[in-house]
Amino acid sequence: MTEVQPSKEVAEYTEVHRHPEPKSFLWKYIFSVDHKVIGIQYMLLAVVAVFVGMALSLLVRLRLVCPECSYPLLGTFFPVGAPEGVMTPEFYLAMLTMHGTVMVFMVLTTAPQGGFGNYFLPIQIGAADMAFPRLNMLSFWTTFVSFLLLMAAFVVEGGAPMSGWTGYPPLSALPEATVQGIGQDLWLASIAVFCIASLLGALNFIVTTLDLRAKGLTMMRMPLTCWTWFVTAILGLLAFGVLLAAGVLLLMDRNVGTSFFVPAGLVVSDKVIDHSGGSPILWQHLFWFFGHPEVYIAILPGMGVTSHVLSTFARKTVFGYRAMVYAIAAIGGLGFVVWGHHMFVSGMSPYSAFVFSVLTMCIGVPSAIKTFNWIGTMWGGKIRFTSPMLYSIGFVSLFVSGGLSGIFLGQPTVDLYFHDTYFVVAHFHLIMGVAAIFGMFAGMTFWFPKMFGRMMNEPLSKIHFWITFVGVYAIFGPMHYLGMLPHPRRYAEITGVDYLAANGAAELQMFVTVAAVLTVLAQFIFLYNFVKSIFAGKECREENPWEATTLEWAIPSPPPHDNFAGKVPHVYRGAYDFSLKGAKRDFAMQCNDDKAVFGEPATQASGD
Amino acid sequence: MPATLSPSEAPPVTATGGGDFVTLPPSQEGDWHNPSGDPVVQRYKLGVWIGMGGILMFFAALTSAMIVRQGLSGDWVPVAVPPVLYVSTLVLLVSSFTVERARREAVAGNSAGLRRWMNASAGVGLAFLAGQLLGWQELAERGLYVASNPANSFYYVLTAGHGLHLLGGIAVMGYVWVRIRAGKPWPTRLAVVEATALYWHFLDVLWIYILGLLVFWR
Repeated sequence: MTEVQPSKEVAEYTEVHRHPEPKSFLWKYIFSVDHKVIGIQYMLLAVVAVFVGMALSLLVRLRLVCPECSYPLLGTFFPVGAPEGVMTPEFYLAMLTMHGTVMVFMVLTTAPQGGFGNYFLPIQIGAADMAFPRLNMLSFWTTFVSFLLLMAAFVVEGGAPMSGWTGYPPLSALPEATVQGIGQDLWLASIAVFCIASLLGALNFIVTTLDLRAKGLTMMRMPLTCWTWFVTAILGLLAFGVLLAAGVLLLMDRNVGTSFFVPAGLVVSDKVIDHSGGSPILWQHLFWFFGHPEVYIAILPGMGVTSHVLSTFARKTVFGYRAMVYAIAAIGGLGFVVWGHHMFVSGMSPYSAFVFSVLTMCIGVPSAIKTFNWIGTMWGGKIRFTSPMLYSIGFVSLFVSGGLSGIFLGQPTVDLYFHDTYFVVAHFHLIMGVAAIFGMFAGMTFWFPKMFGRMMNEPLSKIHFWITFVGVYAIFGPMHYLGMLPHPRRYAEITGVDYLAANGAAELQMFVTVAAVLTVLAQFIFLYNFVKSIFAGKECREENPWEATTLEWAIPSPPPHDNFAGKVPHVYRGAYDFSLKGAKRDFAMQCNDDKAVFGEPATQASGD
Repeated sequence: MPATLSPSEAPPVTATGGGDFVTLPPSQEGDWHNPSGDPVVQRYKLGVWIGMGGILMFFAALTSAMIVRQGLSGDWVPVAVPPVLYVSTLVLLVSSFTVERARREAVAGNSAGLRRWMNASAGVGLAFLAGQLLGWQELAERGLYVASNPANSFYYVLTAGHGLHLLGGIAVMGYVWVRIRAGKPWPTRLAVVEATALYWHFLDVLWIYILGLLVFWR
């Protein structure tokens, strides 16, 4: 490893953050251009959204197990959707739609990338801020507007849309098809605005990664977290434009009378619809061309955090760093050519289905590489079972469990049977929903001391981990069995179906609902721990409490306004140099040169 | 166990680019990614290049939707492109030259020239948009509205989508004009102008593509 030493002229000059630290509340905490504040804004938005999403999922569960039960409070807020507190089937569909939309867009897309990525990408690459700080602020506030638009759908006449988070036409395209007013329009407007916000954010992440890395920090020395944020940004850049185009066309179908997605001769409520020749399948192609990369947008940052945390707490370098990088890139690339596997039941040509199926199976290869390397990283390590480590191991478990059912669903012949059943619900919740959420838990508990200068309560985190870990398996495990019966999904209630009754479907649904209620309640442990620790957690002014290697652990906790106090670190080594032979400590930070790590003379070259 | 190094062990610190607030000339800034050239200009231009990827995907999606929709059913009635579009295309090509001229004035540090040519570009850009509106008017006079026929629908969506992106460029030109009028030091001026010029040329090429699509894929 040879590093060009900076010239005297350069070494003497230290960069100054030209934005002085703002003093007023408005500019410091609301319209801040500091990537750290914006990151926390994204996280708080996601926290609000995740509790909205969980509340909606509970309504869905309650309606499933007791269609006739009355919840008077609900009747007060939603007199149309829940007259006298009894949820209508339409209300069930609306809650289902909003649950999916809120969770996918406002939680899984915002928190891992906009939240953690915003906060830690610049610090981990040794930059003072994102490449375009004002654009960064614009991204967040645009996302916030999108969230408000989505929430507004609850209160307008006709209520929230009921066409699913995938917004399939013709249900979503025809106001006549449902009893709805402008709820669906607000939903579409929200998604369109969200697309714009995400595109701006993606642009910023890519330029930041390419252009602001500290001297010595080559791409192949970047922490895997940075790699996943980088690849996620590329996916976002290429996917959200397509969804935006589709959303614009669907808005026009609804409001201007065009016929992009509405077929001719459609009869709705005994009336022939005045549209001609469009195709709902066209929407499905455009939607899933975005939708599949979106799955990786949600999960990739969780993979990065997991790799990072497993290595740190196993005190071992990441097993197969290069393979991990190539696997991240391969997953991202293949993610763009498998969208058809969401559409096996759309009546597509078996030849197309075959191609999509083979490509889908190909994703198993990089996924397996990652899983193998996570286990390899832990293998023989001196594991410290901290709460972030537990969440990361939980991530690996959920990723494997959710991934295995994906291999079934990637086969067109099997998918035809399973597609509209709870099997799919189980699959995508495990792999995309809770695995990604466990990645966020890991990230939050891991970086909390850096962000707030205090520790989260470890015993509370561990209690929360175990309840949630067992809870999500109790919720989604039985759904595989329900799917095999097969119990169809999306139905508010199913009565008089003998094979379901004979196989205990109702009892199992009740079990799942109880598990869901308990698991949701357990999330308040985390919320309590999070809020309390911000203000009254054990103080941790130590820069590097976890004895980690990356740059964020070389600066004070919480980091100063300009991260590196007007300086930029020099990076000498890869991101995961743990347990080096002959080193003074069991880890070497990226900003430590060989002399600092081994003393004189340098005895071992560092890993790259 | 000490987590970080004592000052004597600390590695030498060097300077690289920060946020978009870097103002130093490249010789002092020492950007190791771009040893030659102004790093801020490079960063802004890189932003535009990356942004092009997103915009291209937007129009690629519309293109593929158009091709698929055309083959779906027999309701596709090709729309003859209004002749005024050829005139506005020429106008847009002219604006690429004026923008390039503005960029060169900015490189030379000539504020008056920059302002003049930037304003000219914005004016020519507005003239192009006026041409597009005339095109819409002509279609409307032929009785071809946005929902009359899927071919018209795509005509309106593609031209409107391109026009909105162009309006964004004109807004930045207006911003340049305001900043130069204010007369205060503006360290990122060259970067903004370079990025605007690159974006404008991109929209120019994008329009040629859209026109080709409308003319040849009817």
